Amino acid sequence: MDIPVSEFLGFLNLNWQIVVMLAVGGLLIYLGTAKNVEPVILIPIGTGILLANIPLSGLVDEGGLFAVLNKAGIKTELFPLLIFIGIGAMIDFGPFLERPYTILLGAAAQFGIFGTFFLAYMLGDGWLHIMNFSLNDAASIGIIGSADGPTSIYVSSVLGSKYAAAIVVAAYSYMALVPIIQPPIMRWMTTKEERRLEMPITVGLVTRKTKIIFPIATVLIVGLIAPKATPLIGCLMFGNVLRECGVVERLSATAQNELTNIVTILLGLTVGGMMIASEFLNPETILIFVMGVVAFALDTAAGVFLGKIMYLISGKKVNPLIGAAGISAFPMSARVVQKMGLQENPHNHLLMHAVGANTAGQIASVVAGGAMLMLIPLFS
Amino acid sequence: MLDALWIVLLGMAIVFAVLGILLGMMILLNKLSKPNKTD
Repeated sequence: MDIPVSEFLGFLNLNWQIVVMLAVGGLLIYLGTAKNVEPVILIPIGTGILLANIPLSGLVDEGGLFAVLNKAGIKTELFPLLIFIGIGAMIDFGPFLERPYTILLGAAAQFGIFGTFFLAYMLGDGWLHIMNFSLNDAASIGIIGSADGPTSIYVSSVLGSKYAAAIVVAAYSYMALVPIIQPPIMRWMTTKEERRLEMPITVGLVTRKTKIIFPIATVLIVGLIAPKATPLIGCLMFGNVLRECGVVERLSATAQNELTNIVTILLGLTVGGMMIASEFLNPETILIFVMGVVAFALDTAAGVFLGKIMYLISGKKVNPLIGAAGISAFPMSARVVQKMGLQENPHNHLLMHAVGANTAGQIASVVAGGAMLMLIPLFS
Repeated sequence: MLDALWIVLLGMAIVFAVLGILLGMMILLNKLSKPNKTD
């Protein structure tokens, strides 16, 4: 009897691409556990990569676990939206509402999204044709600059990019690398005098009424101008209303804990499950990771640039460093700003100002994602 | 290439326009709802 052993023995189907992906999965689990790099998301993603790349496991085939999760949670955009409810319930917009001007820093720092989109499109179908990047792919690559995993997943899946998995992994990985990417740019763009500038600390200037009205008004304004951003901003602000209204503490706690934890597990496994060797290992993926660094660098530079303009216009009252926190990598970039401010001047506590810019960046990145979703179909 | 440039310009314009309106709304909210001792 002729037994087709290669059809049921997994190791007989191994090739170098699969081995590389198994190593990548192992590396992400190592970074999460041993180095504490974004463990909550990297451990599920790493495990998903391991499982999806075991030959003949059937997890990614029609009806397999990852195929079902992908269809139910990513293609429907359900998982990122549910995560946004949890994020909204965790965010305190107080520091931001106390310093409304920081919203402009959040806006400026979204330049990384559009600048990277432009570069990716020029490398692809727009001009050089070096890479296989369509307009939709370029927009999805640009959205890495939102420095926000759920927004990256949402936009790239709505645009139907074939690089969604790489984009999401890049977005999450670089968020963890913010303390490495941002400081050199911040230092290069500012003078010692600017970095040393102290800003006053004020706390508790926002009423509960303002905190409740703000998310509702924001949904209406953003939704009516950029309707494509409504699902994201709607879920974010719904979570925030649960937090701030003060009468549904159970729901707020569930959104912050159980809901976020369950969806994070499912989302991480599914994203990992999308990283199959045959589709993931190609030059485009490597370039997407390079573009991710460019996106974060442009975000930082644009934020600091506007910070410098504010420094001049305000008569040296705004420390330009807080512009770097306009990137929505929350709360890492705010911590980076605080650390650099303290290094230059031990009395310089920029944290609350930076947190304001950071939460502004969260809203701005959602608006930028919505703008991208509005504009791409117009030019396709 | 021109299309991509338009997307960049319009995209940043939309972001600044929406957030500019939000800024106005926040300033108004802060003016209308001033904190007192109980807050």
